[in-house]
Amino acid sequence: MSGSNFSKKFIFNEKLDANYLYSLYEDDYQYIEEIFLTTLANFNEDFNSIKDAFETNNISDLKRAIHKMKPTFGFVGLPLVQNICKEFEDICQNATSSNELTSEYQQIVVTLAESKELIASEYNKLKEFNSNFL
Amino acid sequence: MKWTCVIVEDLQVAADYLVKCCEKSALLQVKGHFTNVEQALDYLNKNSVDILFLDVEMPGATGFDLLDQLAYYPKVILTTSKSEYAYNAFEYNVTDFLKKPFTYQRFQEALNKLTTPAGDNNITSTATDHIFIKCDGKLVRLNNDDILFIESMGDYVKFVTADSKKYITHNTIKNLEEKVNRQTFIKVHRSYIININKIDDIRENDLFIKGNEIPVSKAHKPDVLKRLNII
Repeated sequence: MSGSNFSKKFIFNEKLDANYLYSLYEDDYQYIEEIFLTTLANFNEDFNSIKDAFETNNISDLKRAIHKMKPTFGFVGLPLVQNICKEFEDICQNATSSNELTSEYQQIVVTLAESKELIASEYNKLKEFNSNFL
Repeated sequence: MKWTCVIVEDLQVAADYLVKCCEKSALLQVKGHFTNVEQALDYLNKNSVDILFLDVEMPGATGFDLLDQLAYYPKVILTTSKSEYAYNAFEYNVTDFLKKPFTYQRFQEALNKLTTPAGDNNITSTATDHIFIKCDGKLVRLNNDDILFIESMGDYVKFVTADSKKYITHNTIKNLEEKVNRQTFIKVHRSYIININKIDDIRENDLFIKGNEIPVSKAHKPDVLKRLNII
């Protein structure tokens, strides 16, 4: 975000929206690394809140947990996952029990887990890139 | 002089990003980051800030609950991922509404909607317990606690103090509204700012302070009542 004049370009995984990342942070790769690190550091806690709420059939907490985690994915260049979270949040609005959400829940748990792996992988690559070239 | 601000946000990555945006702007001094309404209220009711970056959905209470309980009204910029809150944002007269994540350019646009920072144009900090006014060719210190109310007199205003003294100075209520300590003073009418701690009683559309009858406009009455400790 500091707009460094660094010329070497990091190639993000194609699953990440690189243009979206650049719109947020320009080419401040060190800051993007920080963002990924912060996201990973808080990921499990937020993810577990979703799982706990579903398993205890607490729809109110489930809505709150998915709402909280949703923008995380935008910050790491996964706006599509953010939209998936938004759709799940909308479905939760009309649900009265976890049982009504089983199918959608199972899908989103897989999506979130895959997203975490992707973020972790990109973080490691970016960290290496930054240590080599910055 | 920089604006002072507080960030109320439960998502760490969003809070960090906001801090970064504030630092980059060089216009803002972040006084604190809180992850829930309770902590934020505790701080804000003891410390006055110019701007509040406020998430809406947080554990316990919402950002709107915080605004309902605040003893004063800083400029508010809502930061949320739910555009459905736009209507409430309008109701609470917030300055802007940032949908997360937002670009730095969008953040700057929000800052542009704010007025001149307190401290510019010889403005006294809103967090102090006194003000200085130009009166009779000198600067006179008035302690907030000594001021009963301020009354408009066209291009001048009259400060009335507890010892029945009157200080007239070249200024306007509109201008003073931004400068006085918002925890102590509140505008109750286009021609009056009063010390909230000095109200003796309120009847219909008037309030009384040490025998002075002061009109309360319909527009300002809800804010006044909100600030009173009504049991």
